[in-house]
Amino acid sequence: MSSDYEISDDDESYYYDDEDMMDGTQDDEEDIDMADFGDDFRVAPKSKRKSYELDYDSLTQKAVEQLMESDVDYICGIFGVETSTAALLLRHMSWNKERLIELYMDNPSKILVAAGVTVEEPSAQGAAIRSHSSTSSGRRPTRSASKLLGMGSGSKSPKPTHNLALTKAPKPPKPIPFVCPICYDDSPDLRQLSLDCEHCFCSGCWTAYVGSKINDEAEHDIRCMAEGCTLATPDTFVRAILMSPTVDHEEQAANAATWARFQELLVRHFVASNPNLKYCPYPSCTNTVSCPSASSKASLTTIVPVVSCGARGIAGSSQGSSLGSKEHKFCFGCAIESDHRPVVCGVAKLWLKKCRDDSETANWIKSNTKECPKCMSTIEKNGGCNHMTCKKCKHDFCWVCMGPWSEHGTSWYSCNRYDEKGGSDARDAQSRSRASLERYLHYYNRWANHEQSAKLSVELYAKTEKKMEDMQITSSLTWIEVQFMKKAVEEVEKCRTTLKWTYAMAYYLAKGNEKELFEDNQRDLERAVEDLSELLESPIEAENIPTMRQQVTDKTVYVQNRNEIVLADTAAGFVEGRWKWDVQVEGFDAPEGPDY
Amino acid sequence: MDARLRRVNKEIADCKNDKTSNIKIELIDESPFHLKGSFPGPEGTPYEGGHFEVDIVIPDSYPFQPVKMKFITKVYHPNVSSASGAICLDILKDAWSPVLTLKSTLISLQSLLCSPEPNDPQDAEVAKHYTTSKNSFDDTAIYWTQIYAGGPGPKKKGKASVVQESSRDEIAIAGLERAHVEQFEALGFEKSKVVR
Ligand SMILES: [Zn+2]
Ligand SMILES: [Zn+2]
Ligand SMILES: [Zn+2]
Ligand SMILES: [Zn+2]
Ligand SMILES: [Zn+2]
Ligand SMILES: [Zn+2]
Repeated sequence: MSSDYEISDDDESYYYDDEDMMDGTQDDEEDIDMADFGDDFRVAPKSKRKSYELDYDSLTQKAVEQLMESDVDYICGIFGVETSTAALLLRHMSWNKERLIELYMDNPSKILVAAGVTVEEPSAQGAAIRSHSSTSSGRRPTRSASKLLGMGSGSKSPKPTHNLALTKAPKPPKPIPFVCPICYDDSPDLRQLSLDCEHCFCSGCWTAYVGSKINDEAEHDIRCMAEGCTLATPDTFVRAILMSPTVDHEEQAANAATWARFQELLVRHFVASNPNLKYCPYPSCTNTVSCPSASSKASLTTIVPVVSCGARGIAGSSQGSSLGSKEHKFCFGCAIESDHRPVVCGVAKLWLKKCRDDSETANWIKSNTKECPKCMSTIEKNGGCNHMTCKKCKHDFCWVCMGPWSEHGTSWYSCNRYDEKGGSDARDAQSRSRASLERYLHYYNRWANHEQSAKLSVELYAKTEKKMEDMQITSSLTWIEVQFMKKAVEEVEKCRTTLKWTYAMAYYLAKGNEKELFEDNQRDLERAVEDLSELLESPIEAENIPTMRQQVTDKTVYVQNRNEIVLADTAAGFVEGRWKWDVQVEGFDAPEGPDY
Repeated sequence: MDARLRRVNKEIADCKNDKTSNIKIELIDESPFHLKGSFPGPEGTPYEGGHFEVDIVIPDSYPFQPVKMKFITKVYHPNVSSASGAICLDILKDAWSPVLTLKSTLISLQSLLCSPEPNDPQDAEVAKHYTTSKNSFDDTAIYWTQIYAGGPGPKKKGKASVVQESSRDEIAIAGLERAHVEQFEALGFEKSKVVR
């Protein structure tokens, strides 16, 4: 509907662009705004930040609404217009205050018409609004704020809408009897409402229309129902329609839910218009994260802006369960709704696309059963640990590479590093393509395995909780004292997420010293995680509990440190520009040399 | 009574009582929410003399969401899909207003036949035909009107001779589907008569 308004000069400045947001005046203003809200609106207090973590704020819907209000107040102050007019203008301009002021100063009636605040005077010059057919009833444009006819709000006389406000002609008497042109109802007690255009409809039709726009179309920009009429419904009008008391309680509750949805849509639109903000993608969460340092595309080559909205839990899951307490972590820079550190958005995107494209070839790996490499009996994986012991022949082997587990502890064996030798020896095209598939499968295999293991940790949580209960019974440890188990499981899950993404990163890293150092760190973390994982899944005997507690606690700290090293070193490498890729990654230099 | 039902019933009744308009709305089955509309092709267009039928589905949130319409009769027109009958018209989308009615929408469809919008095409092939060779487009539209909408066919003089060539592309030029041609052939028509 807003397409009536033509952006005449330069389209670019109509919306924010990266540079503007990086150092524009708008930024500073908003920082002050946020600070003013104090801690009441911060969802979660920030704990001390790591070198690779970003500064960001979590805002509740209410806090965002206050940001919107302060923008609206600002515009009201400058233009001398009503709150709902300023809100319509700002929404029309995607909340770009500077551009709005510019256009308003240039030609106020043009933008007021485009935003749906007023309808154009028939004689006025400038952009023509859409012509309408003869079927629409006569409309007489006026220029004041909207009013609700017959809704008892007449006591408050509207303030002048804007600086062009004219004296209004006295209203002619309503033609009687009224028949709603939509539902054809002609009951004498029908409530009729109209905007300033005085296109009258019954209140029931208005409610149904507004409800359909908001709930069916997720649309906050609601215009008059008359054909071709571009007048927008101010918030006060929408509120009056949805929040006026009705006889039917069910209907009233539905209308209240629609009003709440409308407010959420307004907040979402505001957040989407501002590159410093991102709405939490978790279902039915209404929090917003503000992260100005990750608002430009350029920043995404040096940082991985993983943020958390501060809320926990997935709608519909119970509070005590692991899903019920799941942190709302997501990436501010891309559409991935989870933590993809240490790898930057561009590489993560490339990898996920590759996995999607090659899913057919790689599907077999995902299966949860394999055969023992020695006796060929079927083995099912049920925990996250990769050290497998065949129930039948007692052979110890690695679930990932199917090699003997005994070799995994030695320094010369690396399960994580792909042996490039086979690839470089390949002469003909066929063996080269086989080698390239093998290479991909090496990384994909490990990627998928860590993903699988992290998923299985939901089971591990349950098992661990059971063990924690048992421990309290069989030992003198208190509930607080057995928390070390839970902490360890959480740490393992976190590290598996890191490990998973390190394989995406290693797949694209160009060969060389940097890659080798990266893979050393990766291997150390992986070993530490497998160690701890194995310990957590081993049976507990009452007399061992004190020793085990010590071991688990020590290993948890060690794993934590190894994870820190991978995350911090990789992040530092991005800042220093140390990582080179063997493919073209968005925002990075082209790969050197024709290695692949 | 349900507001939607009341409104649709009144719309159907009003249309029936209106003797001056040539728009018809009929029930397809018992449901008042699945209807068939029809109107004659506008005079002075390639659709003149044809009878055009439109499938009408009334959504739950009607009239606050637009009615769904598509042509049942095959129409050769830039804004109508030659395969599915889907229609590209603003009032069926974001320019819909709850004050519009089934009748006024059908009238809009009728006037769409008078004034194609090749810049906002539903059928890119047909739109290209329209913009590159208006005469040849008209010929095809007249044939379609004749074959599918019961139109009178090409006027004896002039235009018809343009497509007299006997190349094997003649079916394509006429824009007919092979299946339909075969159907007509099976009915005893000579192919050259079907695809003139
Ligand atoms: Zn009504
Ligand atoms: Zn209006
Ligand atoms: Zn959230
Ligand atoms: Zn990302
Ligand atoms: Zn075995
Ligand atoms: Zn291995």
